[in-house]
Amino acid sequence: MKRRFLFASNCFAEDFSSMQQQGEERKEEEPEVPAARKSPSTEAADGGWAWGVVFHFFLVNVLVMGMLKTFGIFFVAFQEEVGGSSEQVSWIGSIMSSLRFLGAPLVAVVCKSLGERPTSIIGAGLVGGGCLLSTQATSVPFLCVSMGLLLGMGFACLYQAAAVMTAKRCRTRLAFSNAIARSGMGLTFLIAPFTQLLIDFYGWQGTLLIFGGIMLNLVPSSMLLRPISTQPPQRSSAKNQDCGSLMAKKDSETLDGCSDETTPREIQLRSAQDLPTTEGLLMSHGRDVSGPVNTSALERLKKPPVDSCSPEIATEAKRSYKSLPPTEKENSQPLLDFSPLKDPVFCIFTWSFLFSHLAYFVPIFHLVARARTLGISSMDASYLISVAGITETVSQLLSGWVADQNWTKKYHYHVAYLVLGGITNLLCPLATTFPLLMTYVVAFAVFCGGFMALVLPVLVDLVGVQKLHSYLGFAAFFAGIAAIGGPPLAGNCNVIYKLYPPQTSSDKTCSGFTLLPICIQGCFFCPSEKKKTKMHFRNLSLYTGNILLVNLQNPTSSLTAAWKKRG
Amino acid sequence: LLGVSGTSMEKNITLDSATIIELSCRLDNKYSHLKSLQVTWKRGNETIRHIDKTENSWSIQLKILDSSKLGNYRCILKGEEEISAIFYLQVPKIEGKEKPIVSYEGDSAIMICKSFGYTPIAWTWYKINGSEQIAINDSLVADKYVINSVSANVTHLKILKLTKEDDGVYWCEAAFELGRSKGNLKLKVLSLMVPLKPFLAIVAEVVILVTIVFLYEMYSKKKEKCA
Repeated sequence: MKRRFLFASNCFAEDFSSMQQQGEERKEEEPEVPAARKSPSTEAADGGWAWGVVFHFFLVNVLVMGMLKTFGIFFVAFQEEVGGSSEQVSWIGSIMSSLRFLGAPLVAVVCKSLGERPTSIIGAGLVGGGCLLSTQATSVPFLCVSMGLLLGMGFACLYQAAAVMTAKRCRTRLAFSNAIARSGMGLTFLIAPFTQLLIDFYGWQGTLLIFGGIMLNLVPSSMLLRPISTQPPQRSSAKNQDCGSLMAKKDSETLDGCSDETTPREIQLRSAQDLPTTEGLLMSHGRDVSGPVNTSALERLKKPPVDSCSPEIATEAKRSYKSLPPTEKENSQPLLDFSPLKDPVFCIFTWSFLFSHLAYFVPIFHLVARARTLGISSMDASYLISVAGITETVSQLLSGWVADQNWTKKYHYHVAYLVLGGITNLLCPLATTFPLLMTYVVAFAVFCGGFMALVLPVLVDLVGVQKLHSYLGFAAFFAGIAAIGGPPLAGNCNVIYKLYPPQTSSDKTCSGFTLLPICIQGCFFCPSEKKKTKMHFRNLSLYTGNILLVNLQNPTSSLTAAWKKRG
Repeated sequence: LLGVSGTSMEKNITLDSATIIELSCRLDNKYSHLKSLQVTWKRGNETIRHIDKTENSWSIQLKILDSSKLGNYRCILKGEEEISAIFYLQVPKIEGKEKPIVSYEGDSAIMICKSFGYTPIAWTWYKINGSEQIAINDSLVADKYVINSVSANVTHLKILKLTKEDDGVYWCEAAFELGRSKGNLKLKVLSLMVPLKPFLAIVAEVVILVTIVFLYEMYSKKKEKCA
């Protein structure tokens, strides 16, 4: 009885702590904590650490994005000093930004073996070291390695570790925390003038030196990525995870039954994880629980001689498995987990991730050109861009907050944002005056911000935290491939459409790109709840056909003829 | 070249080699109602003859053979108002750099001068010490200065092993058939300590933060063990 109450109050308190910054209140809420469990102060600290993780992710976003965006300023300085043509120097930038994505699977492996905190510290060290090494650069290949490779891998490490840690720590408020962290990207506009100032004062070498120092700041903030467990990992992680649901109350009976066999706390906690999943969880947190449940719990349950309990628990766990493929067969999670590649949910998610990234950049690119062709001055055009940036940041925060209220599933919001974004893009050729263009920009930024903030929470909802590393790694890998190919593709579309007024072409391209993720999302959100693999494949094939059609049309003239007819 | 009533017009003409050039002032049709127009071509104070006159335009022909012939030429239309147009005949401008080039002691710096469109005959580099010009001769001090011409229009001056004395203003002078033209460059030589100070300050701050976080963790671990 006592234990049941403890679980309940603990869960409640854990939720509370991630919502409030002061964990001290919890001490008052739990007067009956036994000495055997983790002390409430560390519980409170756990809640406080969640904000630390968000802060670290925020810093990572600011510095990583800032560095990537200000690379253009360094580009000019490099070209003069080190020589080399613009293509050679631009390789550095592209290696840097693409490795950030492409290195993700490797980083996922490292994270799993070492843990997030060491990985993040390694990442920060790589970035700082890369910057410092680049000050000694004398030739372009040197810079490619020192700046491109080291920095790229460092960014990948930092990003992956921070994203997964955020997902692990902030259960109830994942969307909002993610949004806060992503809003760091909005601040990067400050870094560009700062960099220019530094270059004027110190030259590019001095600037890189100072940047190296600033990046080293990520080391102490990486230390905030405290692993969830400070005591035996299985036990505390189990406890933290089951706090996502309040249904541990009902476990008491089974717990007592099993507890006699092995260490009371351990089995109790593990079985407590299993049982909540059988309660027909509709909460998305349930999936978080079911993920780790099967892997960690079942592994260990097989070893201790708890015959009476384990079959029961195992079957319950099997029943509870909804969207994840059954992992009872796996005894251990391999380091490099290729299972995401076989999972249809993953394929669909990655497709949509890919296309939405493609669609994200294109409108902003062409916005200024469009404004100019419409006769709007470049001052006003840059004003448009800054409005877009600010609106996007604000809408990210709002959508994160709204999603966290759990009025409906997060992916419903995701789909809604994408659909509305696609519609906005389709309507954008109608925007021919400055106010209309401003409306388009604001609407697009709202929807883009909304959906960007939800990418990580939706992925967490679908696959659970335990597998997040591999999924995120591979998704980022494919997104990286897309990122390399995206701008040239969009540029190609522009080339083909050169015969036609650019305002119609680029926007039709981008609306095409935006509609694709909508189709994909639309198809996969319905079945994901019910785990109907057949439906996945059927829908996937339907929409893959659609995708292929659009892809084929893009580089060929058939589409241009089609557009021409529409006029 | 059209004249506009009431305003003064200017035109820059860039010449790099000896040519014969014709300058003409033409009046817009809408002003042709103005009668009794007198047109004079002047350079400075001296009037130039050889005016070829047509219906609405007045022109002169100039033989530019050396730099003495370059300068400002004015065509003055005296009617009810005086309209003038000025032609600036000059050698091509050389582009240097407005912002100072920053480099470090012991490092090397490259200074680039470009001439657009016109190919100079020769390039010369000068260092300005106070009010003196010192020509930089790369054959004399070969391990310090290297003058390279990447192409005929571009010249590079590479200064190796920079020291504090290399700080200052440099001129790159392009010699054209009709004269010389200068570009201005400023070099700033910093010692390594200059950026190192902020860097060390940041590193110190990082170390302090790391220590604080580490100590806090030790402290909370101890608390856990005691509790």
